Amino acid sequence: MTQVFYGLLLYIFLAMPPVVHFLESIMVLHMHMQMPMLVASGFFMAPFFQKRFPQFFSKWNGDGVPGIVLFSIIMVYWTIPRTMDEALTIPAVELFKFISIPFLAGVPLRDSWMKLSKWGRHVVLIGFTLLFIVMGLLYVLTPVQLCNSYLVIDQFTLGWGFLTTSIGMIVYLIYAFVVDPSKYEGIPPEDMSSSDE
Amino acid sequence: MATVPHSLNDKSVTRSFKEKTGKMLGVNPQDAKFTKTYMFVAFAALLLGGILGLLQGLNRAGFMELSPQHYYQVLTAHGLLLVVVFSGFFCIGYFYAAMSHTLGGLLPKVRKMAWTGFALKIAGFVLAVIPILMNQASVMYTFYPPMAASPVYYIGLALIVVGIWLCCFGAFIQVANWRKQNPGKHVPILSFFATGVFVLLFFGSVPVAIEVLVLVLPWSLGWVDTINVMLSRTLFWAFGHTYVNIWYMTAVSAWYVVIPKLIGGRRWNDTLTRVVVIALVIMNITGGFHHQIIDPGIEEPIKFMHVFMSLAIGFPSLMTAYAMFAVFERTSRRQGGKGLLGWYKKMPWGDVRFLAPMIAMIGFIPAGAGGIAQSTNQLDQVVHNSLWITGHFHLTLGISVALTFFGISYWLIPHVSKRVLTRKMNRFGVVQTILWTVGMIFMSGAMHTVGLFGSPRRTAFTTYFDNATALSWNPYMTLIGLGAILLVIAAVMQVYAAFNLMFFAPKGEEEFPIAEAEVGDVTGYWTERWGLWVALLIIVVAMAYVIPLTDMIVNAPPGSPPFKTW
Repeated sequence: MTQVFYGLLLYIFLAMPPVVHFLESIMVLHMHMQMPMLVASGFFMAPFFQKRFPQFFSKWNGDGVPGIVLFSIIMVYWTIPRTMDEALTIPAVELFKFISIPFLAGVPLRDSWMKLSKWGRHVVLIGFTLLFIVMGLLYVLTPVQLCNSYLVIDQFTLGWGFLTTSIGMIVYLIYAFVVDPSKYEGIPPEDMSSSDE
Repeated sequence: MATVPHSLNDKSVTRSFKEKTGKMLGVNPQDAKFTKTYMFVAFAALLLGGILGLLQGLNRAGFMELSPQHYYQVLTAHGLLLVVVFSGFFCIGYFYAAMSHTLGGLLPKVRKMAWTGFALKIAGFVLAVIPILMNQASVMYTFYPPMAASPVYYIGLALIVVGIWLCCFGAFIQVANWRKQNPGKHVPILSFFATGVFVLLFFGSVPVAIEVLVLVLPWSLGWVDTINVMLSRTLFWAFGHTYVNIWYMTAVSAWYVVIPKLIGGRRWNDTLTRVVVIALVIMNITGGFHHQIIDPGIEEPIKFMHVFMSLAIGFPSLMTAYAMFAVFERTSRRQGGKGLLGWYKKMPWGDVRFLAPMIAMIGFIPAGAGGIAQSTNQLDQVVHNSLWITGHFHLTLGISVALTFFGISYWLIPHVSKRVLTRKMNRFGVVQTILWTVGMIFMSGAMHTVGLFGSPRRTAFTTYFDNATALSWNPYMTLIGLGAILLVIAAVMQVYAAFNLMFFAPKGEEEFPIAEAEVGDVTGYWTERWGLWVALLIIVVAMAYVIPLTDMIVNAPPGSPPFKTW
């Protein structure tokens, strides 16, 4: 349960007013630092809920798909420029961010990831890579402000943040597709029967 | 084993047979030639670089006149020879020897790539040295724009980078091939370190290649009028800092793997050793920003974030410090060491192969502490442009890295030359190590102190029109000069030892000391997922660099024309 404690600690740290203020003062930190760290805090706290409500998770998230869909919806929602604006101006939306990202994205991500097949995980990664490329292009190419609260230069920086992160994800995907771990690890890769490799 | 195809199994049997015969017969002569050549170049560079260092030391002490233009010429050559050639050639020679030894000999293809890399590096080096000798490239090895050197200098640097890349890819092919032949096995620890170092070497040299090819070269050729100075400096330090940590990781590999064997013990926890390598690889490149703490044009929050990133690299270093003392104490107690600290007497202090890296490790305690102090914004303001920083990197590189490399040379060179380290040469090495240490304590200690009093770095000797404060620095400058004299004597001795062990020492077999893991130490296989570590490295770099780079490019000033300040 140590990681639950650290997850909670991270959550409390991220919710501290000076930290909130600093991370939200720069657009790319808001989206690419605060939000992923909130997901991570939920990810670490997940075992607490998994142990407390095992019935709930096995009943509603048996194969991991509902959980990952919920995760994707929440994450996609928070990539919309307007939602960031609202988080800054409407306290209720800010509160929703601090509840939705750790508990409706981080927790289901932890519960679903290991339940998904190798291909399920790759579909999620490909989806997010595409999303990152599209969002990156949107933020880089749009000549006008998309968020009231952030300048065009902030938006441009965020766009490049998306694009460069997607390069890292593409490198990982290429590695996952090109390199057959069974050749190196001496064990058959998971789900070998269901893949064409 | 049922899932492993028969042919693969056969191959791995032949392979492990080859490995065993390789170990019995000693080093592969072709691989040995490669490492010997690299060591030859490295120690020749040490000799030249050391002599140039002496000139600067004597100048700073006021013992010798060097006109300002020659001072910078000498400084540029000193930096290039020791920072790029000595350290770079030593790292690659050492890790290729390690891969040859632990992975059953280099593949012919890999050997060819590495030799091509060698040729490119030497060609690049010659091209870089010519303009330095002609006094057309006194820009120091950091080559900060707007100081502009002759284009030939930059072409030389670009060739060196391409040569390094060939060596990196050779190493990747070697390791991937071994893993294919040995499915399910962990890459031997020294080759694991090599993988980490070559990953960093490749990704770290990408920014400097961009800097040289896209920004500096067209500008020095006159194709474009101005250059974005901040962008160039940032790209340089993404490389420069990584390069520093590559030597450090090379030294650390010997601390973790070689030293436990020399003291008759076993290695520290294998998983955590690999975690240290992975952590250093993922978090390293972004540390470059702490070299720019006082650069204008980077916002405070970004500098703050990067202080955090730099201190994050301190964490694996602290793990290393803990690991080393744990190994020392465990081994010494097994050998009968007693008391709270009495166990230290059990260690082989008279063995140069141990003594040199041990002093290197002890030196890393103040060196690392100084580094942490300098990464802090306010403290760096005080010392950044002073001799303190010069003292710092003479402690980290001159003690922690160089002494470890010297210690390695006393077994690696005889190992690849099929000669032995005699008792006499060992004694010679101990004297040389002590001399080097004392010299470096004088020089680095004086530099640190006088830096705190405000003496600037990167200047020739001057009394600033007999200004009282500047005159008060003089006693320390004398100490720097004395240190430089001791150091050059030790450097000449080291070079003599290296060449003696390579060509004249008695024939025989010298061991390649690699300590075994503790009994029952099981390593998680996840540590071998290099694709994941590389993806994380790219994402960390992307997150760290996107804000400042976008800002520097979009909000760029008009840029600077080239200047020749010397």
